[in-house]
Amino acid sequence: MAIQDFLVASILLSCFIATSYGVSFSSLPETLVVTASPQPGQVLKAGEDTITVSWLLNTSSPAGIDFAYKTVKVKLCYAPISQRDRAWRKTVDDLEKDKTCQHMIVAKAYSSSNNNFTWIVQKDVPTATYFIRAYVYDSNNKEVAYGQTTNSNKATNLFDVQAITGRHVSLDIASVCFSAFSVVSLLGFFFLEKRRSKASQAK
Amino acid sequence: MEISHVPDDSCPKKFALPVDSEHKATEFRLFSFAAPHMRAFHLSWISFFACFVSTFAAPPLLPIIRDDLDLTATDIGNAGIAAVSGAVFARIAMGTACDLFGPRLASSALTLLTAPAVYCTSISNSPVSFLLVRFFTGFSLATFVSTQFWMSSLFSGRVVGTANGLAGGWGNLGGGATQLIMPLVFDLIHHIGATKFTAWRIAFFIPAFFQTLSAYGIFFLGQDLPDGNYSQLHKSGDKHKDNFSQVFYHAITNYRGWILALTYGYCFGVELTIDNIIAQYFYDRFNVNLHTAGIIAASFGLANLFSRPGGGMLSDFMANRFGMRGRLWTLWIVQTLGGVFCILLGKVGSLGVSVAVMLVFSVFVQAACGLTFGVVPFVSRRSLGIISGMTGGGGNVGAVLTQVIFFRGSRYSTETGITLMGIMILCCALLIALIHFPQWGGMFCGPSSKGTTEEDYYMSEWTSSEKEQGFHKASLKFSENSRSERGREIIRSAPTPTDRTPNMHV
Repeated sequence: MAIQDFLVASILLSCFIATSYGVSFSSLPETLVVTASPQPGQVLKAGEDTITVSWLLNTSSPAGIDFAYKTVKVKLCYAPISQRDRAWRKTVDDLEKDKTCQHMIVAKAYSSSNNNFTWIVQKDVPTATYFIRAYVYDSNNKEVAYGQTTNSNKATNLFDVQAITGRHVSLDIASVCFSAFSVVSLLGFFFLEKRRSKASQAK
Repeated sequence: MEISHVPDDSCPKKFALPVDSEHKATEFRLFSFAAPHMRAFHLSWISFFACFVSTFAAPPLLPIIRDDLDLTATDIGNAGIAAVSGAVFARIAMGTACDLFGPRLASSALTLLTAPAVYCTSISNSPVSFLLVRFFTGFSLATFVSTQFWMSSLFSGRVVGTANGLAGGWGNLGGGATQLIMPLVFDLIHHIGATKFTAWRIAFFIPAFFQTLSAYGIFFLGQDLPDGNYSQLHKSGDKHKDNFSQVFYHAITNYRGWILALTYGYCFGVELTIDNIIAQYFYDRFNVNLHTAGIIAASFGLANLFSRPGGGMLSDFMANRFGMRGRLWTLWIVQTLGGVFCILLGKVGSLGVSVAVMLVFSVFVQAACGLTFGVVPFVSRRSLGIISGMTGGGGNVGAVLTQVIFFRGSRYSTETGITLMGIMILCCALLIALIHFPQWGGMFCGPSSKGTTEEDYYMSEWTSSEKEQGFHKASLKFSENSRSERGREIIRSAPTPTDRTPNMHV
C-alpha cells in the first residue's frame, strides 16, 4: 500500500537527517563596520527604492584577524518590533535555526575595504522595520564574524520598507465580475426552477 | 445494467441500478455515472470536495500571505478560527434548507453564494479583510449536510452507509488535496512571471472556478429524488411535513446528541484544526520548503480516501457481531488511540518520525469520524436531520475551541498546542462511556432491566395524538429494522426483519 511505502521511506529518511548545530551568534566578533544609505525611520518602497551598503574591516581590529575570512553575505534583517507575535521571524542564537535575516542583499568575496553595493529592494520584501547585517564566512562556509548597521540591542538606525500589495486593477475587476456572475447565476437557477415546476404542473 | 420496471402512475420508470419500492438504489456501483443515483453521488462528493479545497486554500500559502498582508500569529489564528466557525450554524440550517428546497438547490445555492468570498480573497489587503473572506468561505462546509441528506434520499439502508461514508470521506479529501494544489498553482503562476504577492492572489481563482462549476453541475445534472426534483414532484399525502418545533424539541432534549456533538468536535474538529495549522508547522519547525510542507500536510487529508469510509464499515462490522455496544466501544478505542498519537506528534522532533506519526494519527482520527456517524442515525429517528446537523456543527465547534485555546497568538508553541490537543481528545472521548441506549446498553452497562424495546425508545418521540394520525409509521418500521443493533448473540427468537438494518451513516 502506498502509505506503507511512504512510512518506510520516511523512517529511512529520518536516519539520514543528522541533527546539525550551527555556529552560535553570540560567539561571533563584530569586526566589520557596515553602513547603509537609508536614514533612521526612512520608508523605502519595495521594487522602487534602492539601498547602498558599504562595509569594511574595523581598523581597530587586531592584525591578521581576517586571515580566514573568505566571503561576505549582506542580508536584510527584521528589527525586534517586526518579530513580535511572529514566530517565523524569531531570533535564535544557533545560526542554523535563526530566522532574523531572511532576505539576501549580496554575496561577495571578502576584502578589507572598498566594498559597496547598490540593491533595489526586491518585490517580495514584506512591510516591516529592518536593519542590515553582514556575515563573514570562512572557506567551510561557517560564520566567523559579522557587522551590522544597528547597535547590539537592535534599537538604533532602523528603517522601514513598504511592500507592494500584489494587487492589480485587472485582478480587482475580475474578482468583482466573477462574484457578481455567481450571484446572478443563482437567481437564474431559482427562476429556471420555478419555470420548470410551473410547466410540469400545467401538464 | 439491471433494469427494474416499477409500475407507476404514468409510465414504467427504468433505472440503471436495482431499486427498492421507494426507488432508492439497493446497490452502489462506484464507477457508474448513471442518473439519478450514482450521478448524484459523484456530483455531491465533487462539490463538497471543491468547498473543502476553497476553505483550506489559504493555509498552504500562509508563508506568502502573512508577509503580504503583514499578519501576526494572532491574526492567522483568528482567521483559522473564523474559517471553521461559520459552518457551525450553517450546518444546522442546511438540514432545514434541504427539507424545504431539496438538496440539489440548497447545495448549489450555498456553493454559489460562497464563491464570491473565494474570488474576493484575491483582493484582500489587511488582516481584517483576510479574516472576513475566510469566515464567509467557511460557510460552504455546510454542504456536508446536503451531501449526506442527498445520499440518504437516493440509497437504501443496505448501501447508504457506504454512500455516506464515501461521499463524506472523499469530500474531506479536499482539505488534503488543497495543500498540494495551491502551492503547485502558486509555483506555476510565479514561474510565468508574476511576483509572489500577486501569484497567490491569482491562485485563488482556481478553487473559486472549481466551486462555481460544481454548482452548475449539480443544478443541471442532479436530481433530488429518484422520481424527480422537489419542485416538480406532486406532493402527495405520503410526504407529510413534520412539525418543526416537535422535531427540534426531541433533538435538543436527547443528551446522546450533545455528547456525540462534543466527541465529533474532537475527531472532525481536530481534523479541521490540523488542516489549518500543519503546513505552517512543518514549514517553520523543520525548515522544509513550501512545496514539501504542502505535500506533508496533504497526506494528512488524503488519508480520508480510505480511513473515514473504513471507520464507517468497521462500525457496521462491529455492530453485526456486538450490536450498538460494539459500535460504542470501537468508537472509544479508535478515538482514544487518535489522541495518543496526537500527543506523540507534538513530542517528536525529527522530520521523518513526525511525518510517520502524523499519518498514523490521521487514520485514527478520520476513522473516528466515520465511526461517529455509525452511531448518530440511531440516536433519534424523528429528528435525524437535526441530530446530524448538530453533530456536524459540533465538529466545527471543536475546531473553533481548539484553535482558540491552543493555536492562537504566541502563548503555546505549535508543538505544545498539538500535544495539549491530544490530551483534550483523550478526555472528551471518555464521555462516550456515558452514552446508554435503554434497549441496547452502553459501554459499561447492558440494556435496561425494564426490558425497554426499540419500539419504546423510538415511539417515545411521538405523542398519542400523533400516533392516532399515523405519523409515526416510518419510525415504527425503523424500530423493527434496528433490532440488529442488539448484536448477533442476542437475536434469538426475534422475528427476522424484512429489510436489512438501514445503516444510515449520515
